[in-house]
Amino acid sequence: MGILDETFRVAWGDLVYMKGNMIEVLLSSLVGPLLYLLAFGFGVGGNMEDPAAYVKYIIPGIIALTTLSATFSTVSMKILVQRLFYMSFDELLLCPIHISAIILGKLVQGVARALISCTILLVVGWLLSPQVVISPWIFVLIIVASMMFSLLGLLAGMLTNKTQTLTLFSSIVIIPMTFLCGTLFDSSTLPDGISFIIYCLPLTHVSNLMRGLMLPEYSIGLDSIVIVAIYVAVLFSICYYMIKNNKC
Amino acid sequence: MTDDIIIRGKGITKKFGDFTAVDNIDVEVRRGEIFGFLGPNGAGKTTTIRIMTTLIPPTSGEIEIEGHTVKGLDDPVKEKVGIIQQHIALDNDVSVRENIRYHAILHRIPRKEAKERMDRLINMMGLEPYLDRMAINLSGGWKRRVAIVNALIHDPSILVMDEPTAGLDTQSRHMLWKLIRELNSHGTTVFVTTHYMDEAEELCDRIAIIDHGKIIAQGTPEELCRELGSFAVEYVTEGSDKQYRYFHERSEALQFRDSLPEGAQVTTRNTNLEDVFLELTGRENTQAVQEVEYRI
Ligand SMILES: Nc1ncnc2c1ncn2[C@@H]1O[C@H](COP(=O)(O)OP(=O)(O)OP(=O)(O)O)[C@@H](O)[C@H]1O
Ligand SMILES: [Mg+2]
Repeated sequence: MGILDETFRVAWGDLVYMKGNMIEVLLSSLVGPLLYLLAFGFGVGGNMEDPAAYVKYIIPGIIALTTLSATFSTVSMKILVQRLFYMSFDELLLCPIHISAIILGKLVQGVARALISCTILLVVGWLLSPQVVISPWIFVLIIVASMMFSLLGLLAGMLTNKTQTLTLFSSIVIIPMTFLCGTLFDSSTLPDGISFIIYCLPLTHVSNLMRGLMLPEYSIGLDSIVIVAIYVAVLFSICYYMIKNNKC
Repeated sequence: MTDDIIIRGKGITKKFGDFTAVDNIDVEVRRGEIFGFLGPNGAGKTTTIRIMTTLIPPTSGEIEIEGHTVKGLDDPVKEKVGIIQQHIALDNDVSVRENIRYHAILHRIPRKEAKERMDRLINMMGLEPYLDRMAINLSGGWKRRVAIVNALIHDPSILVMDEPTAGLDTQSRHMLWKLIRELNSHGTTVFVTTHYMDEAEELCDRIAIIDHGKIIAQGTPEELCRELGSFAVEYVTEGSDKQYRYFHERSEALQFRDSLPEGAQVTTRNTNLEDVFLELTGRENTQAVQEVEYRI
């Protein structure tokens, strides 16, 4: 299909970079999640009544947060640099390529990073806690979630004109989201107002769905599926609008 | 004959807020010609090119390429156009070879054909020794050569170049002229901006001069020189800066030369494009020169 073919053509540039810098890619997307596993699973969890249960609880959460941490900052920074410093984003726009293919192509590196690091974390998680269920749906969720956060990164990279703004956005939105969205602890115990905000954030639902898929005692919420789908559709539309109208 | 016009811009206007960068210009580029687009810094050349290549939308007006109104970013007619932007645009964190291959891939060139074209262009630009270097480690001129290969990789029938020779050494500049002429002799239409008037005079079949967003003159270099007066007298009298007068007839020029006071340094020569450009867009120190004259 035309769009799919073009998508991989667009993605080629970023993938060839990944291929040449695999160690950096792995370090940047794996060290954080592994540290969370160590600090929370063993540090915090170690003082709990049932440390093994807590480790099992946070494994899906950490995989969920990896779909965010492995994608957003790399994608947004790459777009910003290609737009403002390398000016190679214009070169892409100069080729007659469908706008959807430009968007999807720019997400591929985020999805690839998330797939690689989440797979490694799944293996680690399964070794630590063999009760977790591993199914193909997990990979579907990883792909959809990492597309969603890469779209957010693409949008941020197109909207900002300073690396500082991106860093600021990261520290006041992305990092708190990483911790608070039901990844490492149950966010429903937070005060009402805050827990509503948390409910509206996309990572909460990725985290819920991941837990529903991996742990038999949790169920899959239909609301989470709908909310993630809405996020993907809305973010994609905004990106499409921005590129179509030369707003980047 | 309309078929002869390969690029037609109709009433192109671009406003940035209150500021009008391009002011209702009409351009017509004929098939197979080298068209020079000249103008001082900030005249609106790059803005016009970015509109022509759909990178920014015009406030009003439209562009036709090969008789087809360009509709937007993903318009297939763009496949016919190769562009060298004013700012060198390479992915700095991958190698030169990968930069070039990426363009071949984006343009859907089949593998084998891409390899042949890459080899030919790389050879022509002398880029072999640099292929495995990161693009960021190349000097400006060598980066520009890579940009040239990128723009030519899909064999465009129209080549749009925004100051392609800026920052090139003399050898590279000559090489690029030669390349442009060669492509042109094989039918490629060229739209080029430059600040080097000698280059424009030598290379371009027709020229448009733009200033403050408006086209103020258009024609062949000879026509433009003839309009101003083909004979130039350049003179310095005591206490003043260099001054210029232009005449349509040689005899008038010689007469004027002889009327100048004793001791003036005078050169009589043919008018060139630089004269035309400076007369039309204003010699930088005109004001100051006049003030000096009045005081004397
Ligand atoms: N995005 C923008 N926002 C506001 N003003 C702009 C923008 N882009 C260009 N301009 C203004 O439009 C005018 C024309 O700029 P342009 O880059 O087209 O000039 P140019 O003829 O290419 O000049 P140069 O020879 O220096 O490259 C300039 O005054 C510039 O400041
Ligand atoms: Mg310019």
